[in-house]
Amino acid sequence: MIGVIAYPLGLAVWFSLTDAQVGESGHFIGLGNYDYLVHQGTYVDALRNTAVYTSLSTAIKAGLGLLMALALARTFPGRRVVYALLFLPFVFPVVIGTVAWYYLFSNVHGGINYLLLQAHLVPESIAWLGLGPLPMASLITVNVWHGTALFGVLLLAALRSVPADVLDAAVIDGARPVRRFMEVGLPYLSSALALGAVLSVVGTFGDFAIVHLLTGGGPANETTIVSTMAFQIALRDGALGVGTAAALSMVPVYLVVLVFVVRVAARQ
Amino acid sequence: MSRALKQAPWLIFLALLLIFALAPFEWMLVASLKPADEQLIRGNPWWPDSPYWANYTNLLGSHRFQHWLANTTLVMTSTLAISLVASLLAGYALAYLEVPFSRGIVVALFATYLLPQGVLFLPLVTMLSQLHLLNSPLALILTYPSLVIPFGTWVLWSFFRGLPRDLIDQARVEGARTGDILLKVVGPVAAPALAAVLLFGLAIVFNDYFYAFAFVSDESAQTLVAAVGSTSVDISDSGFIFAAVTIGVAPVALLCAFFADVYARGLGAGVID
Repeated sequence: MIGVIAYPLGLAVWFSLTDAQVGESGHFIGLGNYDYLVHQGTYVDALRNTAVYTSLSTAIKAGLGLLMALALARTFPGRRVVYALLFLPFVFPVVIGTVAWYYLFSNVHGGINYLLLQAHLVPESIAWLGLGPLPMASLITVNVWHGTALFGVLLLAALRSVPADVLDAAVIDGARPVRRFMEVGLPYLSSALALGAVLSVVGTFGDFAIVHLLTGGGPANETTIVSTMAFQIALRDGALGVGTAAALSMVPVYLVVLVFVVRVAARQ
Repeated sequence: MSRALKQAPWLIFLALLLIFALAPFEWMLVASLKPADEQLIRGNPWWPDSPYWANYTNLLGSHRFQHWLANTTLVMTSTLAISLVASLLAGYALAYLEVPFSRGIVVALFATYLLPQGVLFLPLVTMLSQLHLLNSPLALILTYPSLVIPFGTWVLWSFFRGLPRDLIDQARVEGARTGDILLKVVGPVAAPALAAVLLFGLAIVFNDYFYAFAFVSDESAQTLVAAVGSTSVDISDSGFIFAAVTIGVAPVALLCAFFADVYARGLGAGVID
């Protein structure tokens, strides 16, 4: 643990305070790298993208996961198989899934555009990874595809701790009981929701695979997040010090998340 | 309203969610049944008009595929074995033995899990390069357990805390040694929690791209997952790649998917209830 976590963490802090390049150790330059970063427009953009990507993905996954859990709490034929198939995207390598999504989104004979064109819903292929808000929406779609089931299974496990009458009253009937469920049933789910949120924030915030493979941070850095930026600065441009500083700048957010977890755990 | 009618909205929702969840798998399956260039250029990308089985038969003689499969198996089994043993021992020690600052250690472990891979990979690249371990599966075998053990220890610690202490105390009174207690008393009882850690570790190894991509670039040393990621822009091989995925990855993932309950209960043990 010390060899693979504590020592590299110390090394990371040291790197971030030097002008080290890949392959050569640098000189101590204090907070120069951090100062350089905050004056970079791309770094500020990356921070904003990371925040948008993480918060929207987590919110959508939580919502869909809650619906998934409520639906799976019912009995119907084939429930076990449906449950497993919905969990599949979470245990399937996200790298491979993202490569498949890349081709689904493609504007050159991509799977989604093919269906839209065949159904005459659009006059020409949509550039899902090309323009405006669509690339970010595509990233969030893949993230939601991968992570919804985590919320689903955690919430389903927690649903079993909700007294049966609360659930019956709330789930089986129409709209009003839905609201009642939000008031009565949701408190039982709060810790599962918190655990799901923490795992999702950690996974999305530090995500590399989806962004790197789907958009590569493009077009023109519009979807760059902090972790892909750190990777590019350090390994592509060779600026180890600046890259490590970018990566380490994520840590404060993790501390906030950690405090949140401990609070929730302590309340139980 | 009849029961069936009340069910309907939920079932429709599940059907839509299923389509969303499974669409990429359907596409990959179709891609594996077409010549390399066809899937990405012409025809119906959602259906193979005449299945092209050569992608699968080609796998048999492919050294690339054999390397990937061997590397994946080696990395996966080593990581899981190391992580399970370490998590079991650490979780047991923290829950039952008088370890100073055990509470602090548990919080620190969870914090470690929260630490992004992005922070550690740059120093790790440098260290592995100094040790001449880059481009070897050993680079992954050494680093992956660090992603699994903290959370695994936390899961087992929460599990042991929920067990009655008498179980161990009694065995100890009867003169059992710690090793025996672990193997014969604690191990079997902890099987569900261990299964959850196993699934968690498997998902970590399957889902990592950062380490696999940064530490191993030589194709013959790569895992299947990283190899697919690194050839993602090379469209000329889509039939071969997705046939490899269908044979090498999909069965394991599908098997794991049926243990979603084990995963949820093990993960939630410390938090839910």
